[in-house]
Amino acid sequence: MQGNSLRRRSIAGLPAGSGGALPALTLVGLFFIVPVVALLLRSVTDPEPGLQNYAALFGSGTYVRVFLNTFLVAAVVTVVTIIVAFPVAWMLAIMPPALGSIVFGIIILSMWTNLLTRTYAWMVLLQRTGVINRALMGLGIIHEPLPLINNLTGVTIGMVYIMLPFMILPLVGTLRAIDAMTLRAAALCGASPLQAFRRILLPLSLPGIAAGGLMVFVMSLGYFVTPALLGGTSNMMLAEMIAQTVQSLLNWGLGSAAAFVLLVVTMALYAIQLRMVGARRLGGGL
Amino acid sequence: MLLDYDRLGWLRAALAGFTALVAAFLLLPVIFIVLLSFGSSRWLAFPPPGWTLKWYQELLADPAWIDAALTSARIAAMVAILAVVIGLLASFSLVRGEFRGRQLLRGLLLTPMVLPVVVFAIAIYAFFLRIGLAGTTTGFVIAHTILALPFAIIPIATALEGFDKSIEDAAIVCGASPLQARLRITLPSIRIGIFSAAIFSFLASWDEVVVAIFMASPTLQTLPVKIWGSLRADLSPVVAAASSLLVGLTLALMVVTALLRRRLSR
Repeated sequence: MQGNSLRRRSIAGLPAGSGGALPALTLVGLFFIVPVVALLLRSVTDPEPGLQNYAALFGSGTYVRVFLNTFLVAAVVTVVTIIVAFPVAWMLAIMPPALGSIVFGIIILSMWTNLLTRTYAWMVLLQRTGVINRALMGLGIIHEPLPLINNLTGVTIGMVYIMLPFMILPLVGTLRAIDAMTLRAAALCGASPLQAFRRILLPLSLPGIAAGGLMVFVMSLGYFVTPALLGGTSNMMLAEMIAQTVQSLLNWGLGSAAAFVLLVVTMALYAIQLRMVGARRLGGGL
Repeated sequence: MLLDYDRLGWLRAALAGFTALVAAFLLLPVIFIVLLSFGSSRWLAFPPPGWTLKWYQELLADPAWIDAALTSARIAAMVAILAVVIGLLASFSLVRGEFRGRQLLRGLLLTPMVLPVVVFAIAIYAFFLRIGLAGTTTGFVIAHTILALPFAIIPIATALEGFDKSIEDAAIVCGASPLQARLRITLPSIRIGIFSAAIFSFLASWDEVVVAIFMASPTLQTLPVKIWGSLRADLSPVVAAASSLLVGLTLALMVVTALLRRRLSR
């Protein structure tokens, strides 16, 4: 310490400054890496060594349908979320802060509200005798209750509701970073609003849309709670199938194999996202 | 012109209208649940035929609900403390360390946030079954701390990145020990980050459903597990009452956060 306390010292031969990460590293190594690796090993050893779990997974029409459905739901949710989020983010990026903070407050309130509470609200709202069906029938728009729950419609509504804040908040940042001058210049040079939107605003916000969209897609792929409660048995998603295979069928080998597939797909998409936004900026918007 | 609020013309009205609709879409389910919890219809008819407090009475008279809430609070408090302490130590390494693999370490510590929870849930459940931690408070706290850690590291590391280290060095030059300098100069300067970390990691545990469903035992249930069980059975209005209390808690947390941030950032 004497005289050069500012110099970094190496503790017990560890690289300088890495000591603080030891508790975190131990915890994550022991209770995250080890269990996940053990689970993945189980997919090729349980009930006996070999690839039979993967053969069962990709050879069965039921499971392939679960995969396809998972991608379909995630894609639909992502597209709808982008379309709904963009105008809101656009407005939030330019509106007076006093008004904007009300909208931000509502977004944060919905985001922080317990996930099960939000899903429960949609279960009640969307059911056969729920408010939405009654209102539509009362207005004479429909005569029979619409099937809004336990199908793709229900999952999409519930998931878009949950994903919107994750798309809106980063997009506001992207849109705020765009120089309003470029659009003024476009207008001065005779571009119609539609042209200015298509040739300037949209291309400039595309990185934000792509990054946010990919995040929503990845989160939707592995989502469990909302699809399990709002979806139907005929369009089960991968996460629910994994949970069921392990919890009800006690088929750990098959469940582990399905988990491995989900892990690989998620991590691959995550890696793409990291390249797009840069590792340092990831999660910066908390 | 498209980014000038005052020169948008008719488009501004359209965008504002759409934004108002989306804000209503985000807000309505929350308000709806609160209204419903005071409605007298067991079948959740809306608008309710009358108003009542009986679902709250039923909720508060049921020891299973109270136990679940207390269990959740206890676990989440422990998780928040552990995640903040471990996350704080890790953040110093991640922000200031000069070693190879620092980015890799950062990626590794943040991975639990990206991996689908269901994969982690069955992995840790299988692991805890083997070492006898399944269905225990310790097991819950460990599993939730893993999930909460990224939410603690991100705000603390961000705050630390924004802190000028030369202030800490100046304290050391003036005779403080490195530990003193960190405790008395650096920590108070990044307190907003630490405070956010505590809130986020508390919520990460308090609201966690998936790991909890696997980990819960008949004698150890968190609040989300209890709600999950009720939702699968029937849509009882008691769940609406419990949910409304959770909404109230969220609002309270938002207000406290806003007030503390304002105060701390002075």
